[in-house]
Formats: sequence, structure tokens, C-alpha cells
Amino acid sequence: MARKTKPKAIRDFQQITPVWNVIFNLIAGIFAFMCVFPFLFVVIISFTDESVLASEGYRLIPSKWSLGAYQYIFESGDTLLRAYGVTIAVTLIGTVLSLFMIALYSYAISRRNFRYRRFFSIFAILTMLFNGGIIPTYMIVAQLLGLKNSIWALVLPLAMNAFYVMILRTFYATSVPDALVESGKIDGAGEFRIFFKIIVPLSLPGLATIGLFSTLGYWNDWFNALLYIDNPNLVPLQSMLMRIESSMQFIQQNSANSNISMAAMGSLPQDTARMAMVVLATLPIIFAYPFFQRYFVQGLTLGAVKE
Amino acid sequence: MKKGKKRVSLAISMLAAFSLVLSACGGGGNEAASGGEGTAEKPVDLIWYTIGTPQKDVDKVMTEVSKYTAEKIGANVTMKMIDWGDYQQKMQVLVASGEPMDIIFTSSGGFDYVQNARKGAFMELDSLIDEYGKGIKDTINPAFLEGSKVDGHNYAIPANKELPQQEVWRFNKNVADEYGIKTEGIRTLNSLEPLLKTVKDKAPDITPFAMDKNYVPYVPYDYVIQNLPMAVKLDTTDYKIVNILETPEMKEALTTMNKYYKAGYVAPEAATTGSTTDLMTSGKWLLDRAQTQPLADNSWSASYGYPVVSTPASDAIITNNSVQGSMMAISANSEYPEKAMEFLNLLNTDPVLRNMVDSGIEGTHYNKTADNRVENLPEAKNYDMPSYSLGNNMLLYLNPNDPENKWDEFKTFNEAGVDSPILSFNFDPKNVSSELAAVQNVKEQFWSSLMTGTVDPKTYLPQAIEKFNQAGLEKVMAEAQTQLDAWKAENNK
Repeated sequence: MARKTKPKAIRDFQQITPVWNVIFNLIAGIFAFMCVFPFLFVVIISFTDESVLASEGYRLIPSKWSLGAYQYIFESGDTLLRAYGVTIAVTLIGTVLSLFMIALYSYAISRRNFRYRRFFSIFAILTMLFNGGIIPTYMIVAQLLGLKNSIWALVLPLAMNAFYVMILRTFYATSVPDALVESGKIDGAGEFRIFFKIIVPLSLPGLATIGLFSTLGYWNDWFNALLYIDNPNLVPLQSMLMRIESSMQFIQQNSANSNISMAAMGSLPQDTARMAMVVLATLPIIFAYPFFQRYFVQGLTLGAVKE
Repeated sequence: MKKGKKRVSLAISMLAAFSLVLSACGGGGNEAASGGEGTAEKPVDLIWYTIGTPQKDVDKVMTEVSKYTAEKIGANVTMKMIDWGDYQQKMQVLVASGEPMDIIFTSSGGFDYVQNARKGAFMELDSLIDEYGKGIKDTINPAFLEGSKVDGHNYAIPANKELPQQEVWRFNKNVADEYGIKTEGIRTLNSLEPLLKTVKDKAPDITPFAMDKNYVPYVPYDYVIQNLPMAVKLDTTDYKIVNILETPEMKEALTTMNKYYKAGYVAPEAATTGSTTDLMTSGKWLLDRAQTQPLADNSWSASYGYPVVSTPASDAIITNNSVQGSMMAISANSEYPEKAMEFLNLLNTDPVLRNMVDSGIEGTHYNKTADNRVENLPEAKNYDMPSYSLGNNMLLYLNPNDPENKWDEFKTFNEAGVDSPILSFNFDPKNVSSELAAVQNVKEQFWSSLMTGTVDPKTYLPQAIEKFNQAGLEKVMAEAQTQLDAWKAENNK
């Protein structure tokens, strides 16, 4: 982006011409608007009065505003709050745990003097290329490990990610010189002290990047809950939204059968309430961005270049 | 690394197919497992998977149910509910991974009955019904068991409910009365025209003919596969499968629909809209078409909050789809298939058990007001079950608004049903699965816009027929015809 840091007369050497500047800004602006608009629309619909919605359809400026949807959600009991709690718990525990595991694993395989480094690199990469598929995964998690209807079924399957391991390994290898590790050794530090006192502070941007990815991954995950969670008290937010969405589709597919559609219809919230749930589900994660953003851009580029 | 939902479900179904083959082979060994167990002192545990939004009090109610069933047949019951939209996908994973289960809800619209019966997910029930399910045979309309056979065998117990399918024209009575519309003598699509015109002229803000993208004009044919253009005429004698788009009835219906669409009787977005819920809520519609059952007018009126009346648009026909609307199968890996069948037998014959499963615990969830009448208590919201999916409906107690002769009306309705010529013929698509996928794609492209009258059949109907044939519809039809002929010879039709 072009920023005017110098007096008008002398143009910055790296600055593009004003015309192009305007054009690029326009393009970026339009694109940004297209990304933001659907969400804004959802927010508007969530504040629309339900009866107006039925008669007029979705409108940018509805003729009647209402807080009814939010009222309905907060009055309809603790389901949503509980789902919130589950999602937040899973996201916090999951992010910390996965960051910890990924950081340690990739640190080990980034050290040149680790003898089995090749083996463990390939071990991780293999999981990116091949995986067991859903049924065997289900059998391991639900039957062998017995994690069904447990919060760990939402945390553990996502905790390790080979792709993130690769990013972080490259990050360590390029941004932390071996000499630093050696100097630590000379001063008498053990492996753990070296890792936590030298490596971690130096690789904060990389860790923040992986942390953000994990946070998003956990926050948006619904598929694990679909497979492993039957207990209504342990259903996370996104899974709850997904259930509503798929139940909608189910009703539409079976709309000819009045038995099914009547029975299923009763269990669904109204249009505006659904939109309000989307808004409530998205807001917290938006606040996670600024927190990580400081490191984000830097982290991505730093990790991306191989030696 | 996110995968698309489609890919995930494709992967599931492929894996499911594969592992079902394996589990079906190993399924035979478990049957003799119940020696000495299964008495009131030492009941066995039955696990029952069913469809519907999970309810808070399920476990509580099932504890009560188990007390009753343990005494009667020596079995405890655990019910696991899976939400409407998740049922199909989750059951595929659960069944394929060999999760312990005994009783499975299945239907043509959720965890597909025919397909899964052929894959070996369900136990074949012929001898079990004879031995432990006599009550079922005596109670439910024989057409249910007869019509739900797959390749000559029963794999599930259908719920006794409305048997035939009948299409009706539904009228929004408020609107009809306001504009002086008489619904007598209405039956065919063509007979609607004056009504639609009146409302269109007098009330421009009302949608005269409400429909969504799933609307298909009624023609007297039974589809070999729901909503694919292969069908057999209802009064057929030669059992010939025809392309529905080439039949004179459908051509005429589509022309009429196009006329209606051009005249503005149909909402412009009909071909793309997923549901008419908004119209129903606002009450700004005159008529639409729906499937009926006895006393449907009452339940429609109750759920919309304004009076709805209906007149028949077709005969009452017993089809595969209507027979397979709600069934319960016994899992191929059930440890106690005999007990499961005894339970199903009890569920379909014993009013006490059936109503406990449906409404919960007396005094907690409902109160009895008469011998066969109940009234919901506030707690009922924690146990709000879909009645249609839980077995014999005709044993259910009546709600305060139900007329005394409710189940008699159902019986009369069922008696009046006429068998479709291809009732219990289930097409096996395995030889033409790739063509079928291509045909499905063509359908997506043309179907809704043709059926809702959005496009002119004069130009688009020939195009659609040609595209269908290019996609291999003729081959699929030939295969279906071969299977139908074989089935016909076998059943002496």
C-alpha cells in the first residue's frame, strides 16, 4: 500500500502512480465489500421483524426492525449458551494443546543433529498424503479410544496437523540460527530451557500463525461433533448450526410427505433466529483476528521461504 | 485442510458400502448368543436408533419403558435419537463401523430402506416375523408387509399408518371465501383456471398457486424411481416403462403449467425456491397441492393458524414410497434379533408401550382424560416425539382436538387405496449407476423449470428429452424394463 510519508514534490521511489493507486484501491475496496456484504446482510436479517420477513422477503432496509430473534435465543433456554461454552472450551483447550504438540514436534525435526529427523518428517508427511478414511477413524476414536460423547473427541482429532508441523519446521529452520542453540548449550542450558527461553520467544510470529489456524479450525469444526457427539449438552455451536441447516434440507427433500415435514418443522427456529445464531457464532472469532494479526502477516511470509 | 461436504459424504458412502460387505459376511455368528438371558430377572439390552431432534427426557422415559418391557419380554430398551438432517450420514458411519445396535429406523427418505437392505445392513425377517411377530401380522394392514418386500423378503416392519398416497388441492379458506371461490368440482389441473384468474385479477398481492421447486404436476403414473422420468401407467396391462416426459398427459400438464406461469398465477421464483413456508406463514396464497391423509385439513389448519380445506386431485394409490414411509429394521449385527422382534411385536400391538414411547410418562408428560384420550402437560416439551416414526400409529391415544373416529377414518382411507401396478417392485440400479448419475445431472438442469411451467415446453421439452437420452436414460429404462419383466413373471402379474 502506498502511504504518503514524504513531501509531495519528491515521490517515493516505491510508490505507484496516483492513477493506479486509485484503481487498485477501488478494486480492493469492491472486493472487500463483496466479502463483507453477505455477513452484513445476515446481521440485517437477524434484526428484521419475522412477520415482515414473511410478507416482504429479505430486504436491505426492512420496514420494521426487531430484537425478537435475539430475545428468542436468549429466552429459549440454555442450549445456545451451553453450545457456546463447549465451543469456547474446545477452542481454548484445543489451541493450547495443539500448539504445544506441534511446536515440540516440529522443533525436534528441525534440529539437524536429531538422528531420526528424516523418519519423523516422513512419518508426518505421510498423514498428509494418506488417511484412514472416515469409518476406520470413527472406529479408532469411538470404539478403541472410547472417546464417544466426550469433549476430547472434539479436541484430540484436530490436535496434530502435519501441514502446520511442516510450516513451523521450516520457520524454525530459517529463523533460528543453529548457533543460538549452541550458545545456549555452552552456557549450560538443557534442551527444555533452550526451547522455552530461546526458541519460543524467537518464533512467536510462527507460533501465532499456527495458533490462529488452530483456533479457527476448532471454532469452525462441526464434523467431529456430528460423528462423535450424541449428548445434546456437548454439542458445539457450529455443529448446532449445521444441524439446523441439514434439517432444513431434509424437510425440503421430504416436503411431499406431510408427516415428516410437520414433525421436523416444529423443531426448527425461525429465519431471523437462525441468522441471529450465525451472527452470535461469528462475532467472537472476529475478535480473535486483531489479537493474532500483529504476528500474522510476518509469520506467513517468514515460514514460507525455504532455506 | 477442509474437505467439501460432498466429498466427505461420497467417501462415507463408498466406505460404508465396502465395510457393509464385510460385516454382512460376518453377521451370521451372533444369533445364538442369548442363552439364559432375556428374562424379567436378567433382561437383555436393546439399542434403538431413531430419527428426530434429540429430546431431553429420552433416557428418563426409556427407563420407564424398560421396566415395562423387562417384565413383558425380558428386554431393556435404550433409545438414541439422531437429528433429522444428520440421520442418513451418521447412520451410515455407525452401521459400517459395526456400532452395536438392534433396531434401526429406516424409510424411503432417511437411511434408505431398499438400498441398505440390499447392502446387508438389515437382518432378513421372514422367519422372525413368523415366529415372534404374529401380532404384527394380525394388526397391521397386510399391504404394508407385502409392499415393503425387497427381492421377495421383508427386512423391516412398517408402521401402521395411512397406507395410500393421495394428492389433494389445498385451499386457503380465508382467501377462497373472501373472493367467493367455490371448490366443488375441482379435480384436474385445468379446472383450476377460473379460480386462479379470479384471485389474480382481484388481489394482485396474493400468490394464486403456491409451489416450490419440488412441484411436479400430477399424472396417473407411478415412478420407478422417485422424480426420475421413468414411470408405469397406473392402469397398465403390459407393464411398460415409459419416459414420463413423452406421455400425452405430462405434455398437456406442462403446457397448462406454462400457461399459468405466463399468466402470473405462479410465483416467478417457483423453480428456484426451496419452500413455501413464507407464503404459508403470511397466508397470502389461494391454493397448492399436497399429499393428504385422513383429517389432514385439521392438522394443516392448526399448524398454520387459519382454516385450510382440500379436495382430491388424484385417486388414493398404494405405492412403494407410501408403504416405505416409516419402518423399523433389525440390524444385521444385532445380538438379540429374537428379542428385537419380540419388542417390535409388542410395540406394534400393545397400546401401553406404544403410547409410553410416544408421549412419555403419565403424570409427568401427559394426563389421561378418558380411556383413549390424553392431554399434554407442560413437561411434554422435553419429550416431543415424531409419532409417525415409532410404530403402529393406530394404537395412539387421541389428542383433545382429535375426533373420536380418527383411526376409523384411517382404516377407511386405507381400505380405499388401490395398489400401484409396480407395488413392491424395487429397481436395482447397480448395473446402470453411472448412467443414473448422468441422468440425475440432466434432471437438475431441466426438471424444476419445466415442472413449474417457468419455461415453454414447446421448445424445452424436446431438448430435455434429448439430453436425458444422451445421458443414457434409454439404457436405464431398458434395464428397468428387464428387471420389471422378471419381477412380473415371478409374481404372476
